[in-house]
Amino acid sequence: MPEAFVPLTDFVNESKSIPRDHPLDKPVAKWVEEEVLDGKIVEAGVVILRTRGCYWSIKEGCSMCGYFNDTVPGGVSDDMLREQWKKVRSTLRGKKYAKIYTSGSFIDPTEVPFNFADEVMSDMSNMGIEKVLIESLPEFVNPKNFAYTNAPKLEIAIGLESSNPVVLDKSVNKRLRWSHYVKVCKLARDNGAEVKAYILLKPPYLSEKEAIEDAVQSAIDTAPYVDKISINPVNVQKNTVVEKLWFRNEWTAPWLWSVIEVLKRCEDLPVRVYSDPTGGGTRRGAHNCHDCNKRLLEALKNHRLGSGDLKGLHCNCKSRWNTLVKQSKLRRNGSEPHGYRSGFAGSRHF
Amino acid sequence: MEPISHEGLGRLLKLEDNLQTPHVVFSHTDLKESKDLESGGTIKVGKVFDLPPSPLGLDSEKAPYLQLSENIAVLDNAYSIQPKKLVEIAAEFRSEAGYSRLLYAPAVEPSQMPILAYLGVDIFDDLNVELRSSTGWILESGEWIKQNTQIDDLFSHNRSELNRWILRIRNAISNGKLRELVEITSLHNPRVSQILHHSALLLIEKGARVHSTIRSNDLSLNHPAILDFQNRLSNYEPPAQNMVLLILPCSARKPYFKSSSHKRFFNTLREVENHLALHVVSVTSPLGLVPRELEFCYPAAHYDIAVTGKWSASEIEMLRSQLIKLNPTKHYAKAIVHAGSSSKIMTELVKELGIDVVDTRVDRPSSYEGLEILQNIARMTLSDIPILNTKDRAKGEAKGLANFQYGENSDFLVNSEISGRMPYKLRCGDLAAMSPVVGGFGLTLKGGIEYSLQGGPIIIAENFKLVGDLFAVGVKSYKGNWNIGDQVVIKQNDIVTAVGIAKMVPEEMISMNRGVAVEVRHHA
Ligand SMILES: [Zn+2]
Repeated sequence: MPEAFVPLTDFVNESKSIPRDHPLDKPVAKWVEEEVLDGKIVEAGVVILRTRGCYWSIKEGCSMCGYFNDTVPGGVSDDMLREQWKKVRSTLRGKKYAKIYTSGSFIDPTEVPFNFADEVMSDMSNMGIEKVLIESLPEFVNPKNFAYTNAPKLEIAIGLESSNPVVLDKSVNKRLRWSHYVKVCKLARDNGAEVKAYILLKPPYLSEKEAIEDAVQSAIDTAPYVDKISINPVNVQKNTVVEKLWFRNEWTAPWLWSVIEVLKRCEDLPVRVYSDPTGGGTRRGAHNCHDCNKRLLEALKNHRLGSGDLKGLHCNCKSRWNTLVKQSKLRRNGSEPHGYRSGFAGSRHF
Repeated sequence: MEPISHEGLGRLLKLEDNLQTPHVVFSHTDLKESKDLESGGTIKVGKVFDLPPSPLGLDSEKAPYLQLSENIAVLDNAYSIQPKKLVEIAAEFRSEAGYSRLLYAPAVEPSQMPILAYLGVDIFDDLNVELRSSTGWILESGEWIKQNTQIDDLFSHNRSELNRWILRIRNAISNGKLRELVEITSLHNPRVSQILHHSALLLIEKGARVHSTIRSNDLSLNHPAILDFQNRLSNYEPPAQNMVLLILPCSARKPYFKSSSHKRFFNTLREVENHLALHVVSVTSPLGLVPRELEFCYPAAHYDIAVTGKWSASEIEMLRSQLIKLNPTKHYAKAIVHAGSSSKIMTELVKELGIDVVDTRVDRPSSYEGLEILQNIARMTLSDIPILNTKDRAKGEAKGLANFQYGENSDFLVNSEISGRMPYKLRCGDLAAMSPVVGGFGLTLKGGIEYSLQGGPIIIAENFKLVGDLFAVGVKSYKGNWNIGDQVVIKQNDIVTAVGIAKMVPEEMISMNRGVAVEVRHHA
């Protein structure tokens, strides 16, 4: 690796802390949300299983990813995984769409043993689930890792984050080559899976303008090789480089106007491009001012579900966003003064 | 570029096209963004310079702290770096950037510009001013105010105000009043006041010792020149052993011995037998205690304070620690306190050390009654003190002053033929004489030669006939270390050809091609 990578790698590692003790027989979380399946809005069962976690996170990790906080460094035995599965079945029963997350790669056999994965896929198929979304790093997208005996239609979400190698190296700390990404997308689709791409909006160090341009360009580059694209505005997760930069006020979460700008500029792409901002409307997630956060998140949700568009949205803070975006590259980081989004109303700032 | 003046670590540089630093660039005309992530765009400061790329993937708390291009050093995140860390970084500004690069701090608030300039930042911009303007705030003397009147083009209005603010910072440097401007901006700005608080040591160590008047207030307890004076009091010794310590109030006029009150004290006391065995030390805020021999030393002769007659807890603590540095138990036989409103506290502090002390208990020390009481008490106190003659007294005065001024390198002065009397006629042979300009012993050419042999700082100049001051262009190399304002020796062809006062710091003399490096006091 070139030497320039080293500082960020150290920074990522120094930002982490050892995950606290978690019960091994309980999943991280489960809930039900709305999704689109074959053009119709359906209920989807969502589950996060607790596992050893992402191998890359153990080795180095990405600058924005705090999912290692939910993992068990020593690993979780097959028995305990089966205990967790028992507890999530009720959330999945009766649904046509399931999303099975781990805080890593579902098709990394060293994280989720193949036999266990094969069992739960059969189980879901027997429950009548038509489509399952799982996540993986590109390096595990190998047909033998998802050659299940009996499974619903597979949708593999693969994090691209950015198609710009400089962003991947110096902002995200992810070792991924564009040519490899394209190759594994093709491999997944050739083997019967659909592919969903994750693209980051405003990884650390990038300014608002650089972030918008990077997300749009990444979406344009990726569209031919995937079935849909999720724009993921970076949010502040615990014990990450992003959190450190956020505490230091060297970076702030992106504006919702930026999310909307990216989606608008991707309207003509041949695939669905949408966004469901984690932590949206809070200081740790994509947000605007207090007056419009809710309205814009609602509009994003309707856009995601195909039941609304992003036209006609207005707020006083939009001109502030515009001013910031224009100068943001000159600021040389992703920051802005505290209180700017609400016009420095309320308290005295210097 | 040519350094015109310095204060703290800040500098007023003259650039080409009649520009001066600290300078503000306007983003719409002077800054150009980069085309990609790996280049840095450009900045126009007269000429257009490349900016270094932004610090992708770097931890702002780890060295190296500055991003460098050929002509510009950028201090990223200056707006938000923790105050203590910022000062740590400021200590490395010039070792990372050198003197010939302009130091640019992007996107800082106007209220932080004075303190950043004080720590050495040369260039600022209007990025935060643009954001404030877009939300309807008006800039006024570095502060943001909300006003109901409509201003048509608020950004251009605020830019003009920013220009005035920068001009004020620049004028403050050239008038030696930047510290005052920084103190003013710190009053209602916690961040500035924290940075100022943490920078005291750095400013003592590396800051310019320009002899500008300190018009002091509570904040001045941390003024670098004051802390430096207080620290060096440990190097000082009174003229002789077993003298009587006489604590007097300070005066508005400096040095104190020139004031009418101190002249009266002197005239009253010289009628007392063995009055030379009285050692006058004045009590004052914010300096604490100033022995008579040090009244010329900076900043004892260069400060001004509103006298309230009340001592705060932190001032009392400071007085106690200064008194301990004077080591009275070792040096004095007895003490008299004749300090008006400060008498009570000084008497208590002297008593704490177990010294025999008399408080004259006079409210108006220089009144006729007060002087009479002082004379009587002095006469009684001195009755059993061994006689101190003029010659020994002068020797002791010279030794105390030389130690205070030159520290470990002072032997050459202490061992010379001392003559004359404080204040003006005191001399160390043909090596040094009292100089109000230098603020103590000013070296003669011969003194300079001796000083250089003792490890004093030497500037090696090119070989030419040196008349008048030494300019930076003529500086070849140097030995030793100094701050702006210190005395230095100039050598040419291995011969000392002049002594004078440094006007630039060591590396700066080498980097600069213009400007006065040494103000010469004596030529060969
Ligand atoms: Zn808004």
